[in-house]
Amino acid sequence: MADPKFDVLIIGSGASGGMAAYTLTKKGAKCLMLDAGPPIDFERQRVNKSTHELPFRGFGKPGKLSHVFQATEFNANQWVDETQVPYTHDPKEPYNWVRVRMIGGKSLFWARMSFRLSDYEFRAKDHDGYGDNWPISYRDLAPYYDQVEPIFRVRGRRDGLMQLPDGVFIEDTSGESECNKRFIAAARERGIPNTKMRTSMGRGQFASSFNLLLPDALATGNLTIVPNAVVREITVDKNTGLANGVNFLERQSHREMHASARVVVVGASCLESTRLLLNSGIANSSGVLGHYLHDQFYITQSVQAVIPEARDGKAPSGFIGGGGYMPRFRNLKTKEKNFLRGYALDWSTGGSPDAKYFPLYGEALQKALESCRGAGFNCTVMGEVLPRAESEVRINKAVTDAWGIPVLHVQTRYTSNEFNMAKDAVATLEELCHACGWEVLARHDQMFPPGYSIHELGTCRMGDNPKTSVLNKWNQSWDVKNLFVVDGSSFVSGGSQNPTMTMLALSMRASDYMAEQMRKGELEA
Amino acid sequence: MKRRRFIQALAATPAAPALLAQQAQPSQQAPQAPPPAEASLRYTPPDAAAEAVLHFFTAQQFATLRKLSDLLMPPVNGAPGALDAKAPEFLDFLLSQSPAERQQLYRNGLDGLNAQARKRFSKLFADFDAAQAETLLAPLRDPWTYDAPSDPVAAFLRALKDDVRRATMNSREWSLAAAAGRTRGGGGGLYWLPID
Repeated sequence: MADPKFDVLIIGSGASGGMAAYTLTKKGAKCLMLDAGPPIDFERQRVNKSTHELPFRGFGKPGKLSHVFQATEFNANQWVDETQVPYTHDPKEPYNWVRVRMIGGKSLFWARMSFRLSDYEFRAKDHDGYGDNWPISYRDLAPYYDQVEPIFRVRGRRDGLMQLPDGVFIEDTSGESECNKRFIAAARERGIPNTKMRTSMGRGQFASSFNLLLPDALATGNLTIVPNAVVREITVDKNTGLANGVNFLERQSHREMHASARVVVVGASCLESTRLLLNSGIANSSGVLGHYLHDQFYITQSVQAVIPEARDGKAPSGFIGGGGYMPRFRNLKTKEKNFLRGYALDWSTGGSPDAKYFPLYGEALQKALESCRGAGFNCTVMGEVLPRAESEVRINKAVTDAWGIPVLHVQTRYTSNEFNMAKDAVATLEELCHACGWEVLARHDQMFPPGYSIHELGTCRMGDNPKTSVLNKWNQSWDVKNLFVVDGSSFVSGGSQNPTMTMLALSMRASDYMAEQMRKGELEA
Repeated sequence: MKRRRFIQALAATPAAPALLAQQAQPSQQAPQAPPPAEASLRYTPPDAAAEAVLHFFTAQQFATLRKLSDLLMPPVNGAPGALDAKAPEFLDFLLSQSPAERQQLYRNGLDGLNAQARKRFSKLFADFDAAQAETLLAPLRDPWTYDAPSDPVAAFLRALKDDVRRATMNSREWSLAAAAGRTRGGGGGLYWLPID
């Protein structure tokens, strides 16, 4: 085979693939990036419309994107079409796989919540005996968080919380409304900390690989991006056992092509990366590939309350509004009886409760809604899901996607640990609301199906032992030394924090290592 | 408003299409100057020019749906009600496209409500007065729970409350009322075009 034109082939242009390109190209590596989706011109791809102009008045086409609860009739076309790229699951164990195929991937649309993991996650087994530790500790990743946060311009407040390490923030100096002070004080009395939301501000409209990573990588002259390239398999040199490239299909024509490189980096998003490895039949001597799928469970609108003093527009200026983030506070220094790990709370005041929560209709409902407009409290619960070997994905050869590529079968469900945690979270929130003198309109502890958070993690986990993990501590395949997987599939556990900052930091760290290994010639036969 | 009246007048005048067609004919006289660059054609949504052809509900079900829609979302303080917004007509369309489970919820709910109406008051729900209707709408005064009620009529009423409200507030009529300052909402957003 001819000497490949590229040093590194990167599959995926989202947060993790983008960070690999950003890091490697700056170190002089010639990189080829393939992405299954097209480049998007946001000015041309989106048009302003009134809701009533939509064919289904904003309800959306019934039955379309049945797993994507985030889809609206406005944004339905931004998500991967499930009829084009299907997946299967037991009907009794639904899984919401939410996907984007565009240059920039899901980093175009993420909620921008930007947190670090702590050693409560990296050394979780040491702390509570369950599962496995990561092969790295917080100290290993901290220098990379330090570099990632300024790129994404993370705004936050430094609070010195062990379970939510501070970062290199644009300092959030905003104050608290009177309502929020009351809620925070009630929480503090119960040992529950609070901080400001930590958010990637990005630049312009985006905090994405699309605008923060790929332009810099392109500017080095070392990056070639090929959109619309649906990778079918990673190819391996039979003589050396090393990855030598990929076979891909052009998205629209289905023309098959082969691209070659000295090193292959997979950052195609958690489950797509694992699907690709499984379909390629590589990197699975441990038998662990596909296992330990986890995410964070979400309960949105868990407790709806009305703040009496703000009814009927009576709230004075500065009385209500804003919100906060309460990081994990369970099972840190004490031990809960019926669940391990913990959850975080993303709360806000000043919203308006939905009509469905009022046991009224007609004019009486309209009056109640008007009275409570801007007087609401709301909270989303985000809980850690334990990684379990039996939570897995595997190839379903009976079903293929529009390009003839076998799809994934997903098998996972939440269990008593998550359900008990959810009950605790909602009971705690209700107690806080009552302590503040707020009227609880509605409460529930029913989480969305797994996958809803779009924080799918695991299935290609890192570890210290090649018999029990797919990747080593550098996100490098134990089996194929010039193969790296740099996205969320490499997580060992996920905590309750949104994972994007950790994916970015891991990808940067792996890329640093990769570049050094390439320089030493360690990734060659 | 002038534009709306113009559109309504066109819709109400059988000769209007012919007149427009004549206007579109090339003139035998001297060629007209091209329209200014900023000129654009104006279009009318079908609801403003035509009536929906109903497919899903029976006549009795639809009469019940209209009555319910008016009770759940009446016009209030200048904001259009469900009937003004043609919410029942829209829901007939939406349900015709919906999964079987949703269709069954509506059919069972409407038929069940009429069965209760006949049993309690010996007439159809559509012929109820307000007090009678309030009796059968009691499930809507129950506190909200995450799981839908097990009773099919109660489950239907809960779904309908949301759907009627949304179909009304997302209507063209609501949007026009909001633009005129008579209510809130009626907005829009950035619509993603299909990706080639």
